[in-house]
Amino acid sequence: MVMAEEEESGVSIQLEFPKGRVKKIMALDKDVKRVSSEALFLVSRSTELFLQFLAEKSAQVAIEKKRKTVNLEHIREAVKRHQPTRDFLLDELPPPSQPTKPDRPTQPAGRPKLDPPPRGTRRIDLFFRKPELDDPAQAQPPENPAQAQPPENPDQDQAQSPVPVDES
Amino acid sequence: MGDNIGKVLDREGFKYNFTASASGTSAQDGVIKEQDRLLPIANVGRIMKQILPPNAKISKEAKETMQESVSEFISFVTGEASDKCHKEKRKTVNGDDICWALATLGFDDYSEPLKRYLYKYREMEGERANQNKGSNGYENNIANI
Repeated sequence: MVMAEEEESGVSIQLEFPKGRVKKIMALDKDVKRVSSEALFLVSRSTELFLQFLAEKSAQVAIEKKRKTVNLEHIREAVKRHQPTRDFLLDELPPPSQPTKPDRPTQPAGRPKLDPPPRGTRRIDLFFRKPELDDPAQAQPPENPAQAQPPENPDQDQAQSPVPVDES
Repeated sequence: MGDNIGKVLDREGFKYNFTASASGTSAQDGVIKEQDRLLPIANVGRIMKQILPPNAKISKEAKETMQESVSEFISFVTGEASDKCHKEKRKTVNGDDICWALATLGFDDYSEPLKRYLYKYREMEGERANQNKGSNGYENNIANI
């Protein structure tokens, strides 16, 4: 952004904001008849400084609140902390309770709100869960594997499990 | 094409009003377009990004609030400078009026950097004026020869 002549001095006179737009905003005041080019330049530059200042303070608030995204609440807090800014800007900020754009739907347009399912309906993800035993005592394995007693009849286990039959 | 100048064309719901003033305000109801009372959001976002840490993000709502805030700042400072001009029966708001307004409103910590910018600005403007004079003089000399 720095022009060739200004590199050694470190001062850039190139403005970040379009002069025409700044002039239009200044001209919204009916009392303003004419504005010199110097005044226009200074207003543009001071606006940049103000924006940088407010962004920096808002970022500080966001860091204090351990947030990575600067939002409206951080700006409001930054405005409150600086007396001159608070005097003219605090009343202009959107109130904290209501959203700034109330006409926008809160939910995405693509997903309509569904009615709750009828009673007795089970969600499909329940089907994929591990079955839970009714008796919680049975669910817990013995604490010490050595304490686990072997079955009284060792043949009983084999009787319960089906033995593959060799058909050949 | 020439016949349509000065008329409002209504084609497929789009209106092309050629009689509207250059400032963007509609002549009938005096409503100011949003884009005319706010600075471009891209510029606002860019300046904010330069200031914030690299990993920080800015919500859309925050950008829009900043956009409103800087416009409010311009109006606030301009209003104060304009009042001074009005009291002193002057029509043109100049650089000194803006500096005075900023100091009065509590933004006197901007005065030092602004003085530097103004000095550089005047220097550049002076160079431009000299270049223009020089080129005109050169042309005149050729014409005289």
